[in-house]
Formats: sequence, structure tokens, C-alpha cells
Amino acid sequence: MNLALWAAKTGLDAQNTQMSVIANNLANVNTTGFKADRPTFQDLMYQNVQQVGAQSTQNTQYSTGLSLGTGVRIAANEKNYLQGSILQTGGNLDMSITGQGFFQITMPDGTLAYTRDGSFSMDNQGNVVTASGNPLSPAITIPITAQSVTIGADGTVSVTTAGSSKATTVGQIQLANFINVEGLQPTGNNLLVESAASGAPQVGTPNTNGLGSLTQGSLETSNVNTVTELVNMIQCQRAYEMNSKAISTTDQMLQFLTQNMQ
Amino acid sequence: MDRGLYVAMTGAKQIMQAQAINNNNIANVSTPGFRADTVAFSSEPIYGPGYPTRVNAVAGNSGTDFTSGVMLSTNQPLDIAVNGKGFIAVQGADGKEAYTRAGQLNVDDSGVVKTATGFPVLSESGQVNVPPATSVTIGADGTVSVVPLGLSAAAQSQVDRIKLVNPPTASLVKGNDGLFRTVSGTKSPTDENVRLSSGALESSNVNSAQSLVNMIQLQRLYEFQIKSINSTDQNEQNSERMMVSG
Repeated sequence: MNLALWAAKTGLDAQNTQMSVIANNLANVNTTGFKADRPTFQDLMYQNVQQVGAQSTQNTQYSTGLSLGTGVRIAANEKNYLQGSILQTGGNLDMSITGQGFFQITMPDGTLAYTRDGSFSMDNQGNVVTASGNPLSPAITIPITAQSVTIGADGTVSVTTAGSSKATTVGQIQLANFINVEGLQPTGNNLLVESAASGAPQVGTPNTNGLGSLTQGSLETSNVNTVTELVNMIQCQRAYEMNSKAISTTDQMLQFLTQNMQ
Repeated sequence: MDRGLYVAMTGAKQIMQAQAINNNNIANVSTPGFRADTVAFSSEPIYGPGYPTRVNAVAGNSGTDFTSGVMLSTNQPLDIAVNGKGFIAVQGADGKEAYTRAGQLNVDDSGVVKTATGFPVLSESGQVNVPPATSVTIGADGTVSVVPLGLSAAAQSQVDRIKLVNPPTASLVKGNDGLFRTVSGTKSPTDENVRLSSGALESSNVNSAQSLVNMIQLQRLYEFQIKSINSTDQNEQNSERMMVSG
């Protein structure tokens, strides 16, 4: 196969993948707690045609070699965990994390998933659940008699009931953190799950042990920087065009060859 | 048979290889820290009976273009870019020291600092390990400091220092994995003058305009070679025809 064609083809592939990542980032510009993805480009293996430094005779060495690169690939797609802006919503069960950490969510199969999306609500039993109805872990139930709910910076959830001036604590929100947050696997629905690369979760009380603090009545917005994404998009488009030009040029060379060798 | 045909054939073949190198550069226009490969042709006279009138062309990498790329600000604390000359020491798949300019780092589940391509970053004494931390900061001289998990920002402590080297670029070769190694295979000593910028990545140094012009030039050169194969062929045909008519 013609290496010149295939090297350019890998470039097209990689730029196409980058465009999908940019499009997904831009599509999620309003998604609460969304973290932008960033593709990691890596050059592919080189074909060593002539080893540099090999003996050309017993006494002399080749001063240059010939290694042909075989193109590029997107090796990884890493999330950027920079803090998003905090948006005031006034919602009673809306929470944002300032700093590190994730809310723990119990999935229907009993496993835990993690999220930065703090837009919680109550189900018909008074349990605190996500927009998709999955309960927060450790579970918190707001009594039906509650007049108001207060969530402290350290995750203490307290309620006041009718006829009582004293607030009662009904639960404690805990956050999880990971040594390698980039290793978490996104599963959609604003959720991430633990992977072999992320390490085990380290659970703790908000505002302690380096975990972030909670703010009630606010949400963390997506951290997608639209300007960066648009600039990346322009760059991606031009790189795509160049690779496409490289393919057509190589094609013309081969065409010239076949047309003139009759 | 005129051996001129083979001279033109090797020319065409080598130009196609040069085009592959050029296309590989274009494919890596977005790869952080990528250094463009350059091509040089050398002439290889063919000695044999008679005069060495035929000279074949042989393509070779004249090496790598080590000019710096553009700094792209990313604001990620674990992204580092080498300012000016120098390289970041990493451990290749063979366990030996190799060098790269691609400073997109992350911490794996066991606390080892790795490049985005999975090679562990080296310090003077081995791999760079960080404990579970609230924040990891990389200083201009490669010093890695962390605020350990559970402690306040005042507890910032230095954990290690990334090995930065500045070997003469003439002594470096690009391996099949894209990392640089010294030709002699020896480790390069730490250079105190290499400086990093954190929160930034260095772009590929492929000059897209130049690569496109090279591409056109190589295409035309290729066509010259094919033309001369064609002409040699025609010469042969003409002389055959003369023989027949004579």
C-alpha cells in the first residue's frame, strides 16, 4: 500500500474525531456540570527503513537514517476538570461544588456513579434524587412535614418543620474524589463511573480533606469555553483540508504514473 | 536495456517516500510537541563495468526539525511546555530514558505522573510519584509540588523534580515510538537552564504552508521522473524501429 496515502488518511481520521469531540463540547455548552473533552493526538509508529548510526562499512556509519512516519491517531480523550461558573438558581435542592469532588449517585443496579451536576429534586417518598430519578448516596429523605430545607457548605442537610423553630438534621451529603479524575469513565446522563485508571473513590465530608464546599441554590455550569472550541474548530477544519489535499496530490501522482506508463 | 530507466525509477520511488514523510508531517499538524521530519536526497553512483554514468537518488531523513512550536495556553495545571531549548525525560516502553517535548501530563491511579501517551515522566531518581493531592503544581524548573489531600494550602510540599535535559539536537534520533533518544544510547545529564511554562502546551512545529509547497514540489518532481521513464522508453522504441527498417 502507498504509505503517503495512508499517512494522510490517518490525518483525516484524527481531525474527523477531533471535530466530533468539538461538536459534542459545543452541544453541551448548557449542560450542568459538564466537563469539556480534549482529544490527545499522538504520532503513530515509525517504519525504520535505514537505521541511523548503522555501520555503512566497517569504519563508517550512516550519519542519517530513513524512518517513515505512518501518521497520527487520537490516543485518548481526556476531560478538563477546571471549575465551571456558578449559576444562582435559587432552587432548594440545587447544589454546586466549589473545588474538588463528585456527588455519589446510586444506580438502579446498586453501583455508584459520580457527577458534578447538583440539580437534585425530590421523588414521591421525599428522597433526594437526580433529574433521572437516581437517589443520592448516602440517601437523604426530606420529611413530608418539612417547611424548608437548608444545605450547609459542609453538606449537612437540615429541615425545619411546622410548629418548630429548631432545625433538625436529616442527613449528611458526602463527596467522593479520585487520585486520577481524568481516569473516570463518562457514561452519559452527566454521570461518570470509576475505572481501573481512576483509582478507588476517597469519600469525605465536603469542605474537609481538600474536598470542595457546597453552595445551596446554585448550579455549576458547563466549563466548555466556546471561544476555544471555535478556534479549535477552525484549526481542525484547515488541518482536515490539508490532509485531504495531501491525499488528492498523492492520488494525482499515482494517476500520472498509470497514465504515462502504457 | 538502458539503465537510465532504473535511475528514473529509483528517483520516482524515493520521491514517493519523501511524499510519505511530508504527508506524515501534515497528518501530525495537531500533535502537541511533534517535531517535523525533514527529507534529504543523496546521490549513490553505481559502479560497475564502464564509467559510473548512472547515479541513483537515495532519500533519507536529514533528521528532525527542532525549531519550537507555538505555545498554546490550556490553563491545565498538568500541561507543561518547554520554553526554548530542552526536553522532558520520560521512560520509554523499553524502560530506558527517552525525551519528548509533548508535555500533556496526567496522574494515573497509583500516583505516577505520565504523558498523555502513557510514558512515565522521570526525575533524577526514577519515576515521578505524587501522593493523593488537592492540587499538583509544576514549577518552571520542573519542581513538582502538591497540597496533600486533607491538608491546607499552607502544607504545600515539594515531592520531586522532573528531569529536564538539553542534549545537542544533532545527537538525538527519533525512535519508532516518536520519542527522542541519544544516538549513543547514553543518558543526557540534567540541564539547570531548561525552563517550563505550566498551563500551556507546545503545538506541533509543522509549518503547514511549507508542507503544502513541498507537497506540490514533490508531485512535480515525481512527474519529471515518470516523464523520463517514458522518454527512455520512447528512445528504446525508436531505436528498435530504426533497426527494423534498416
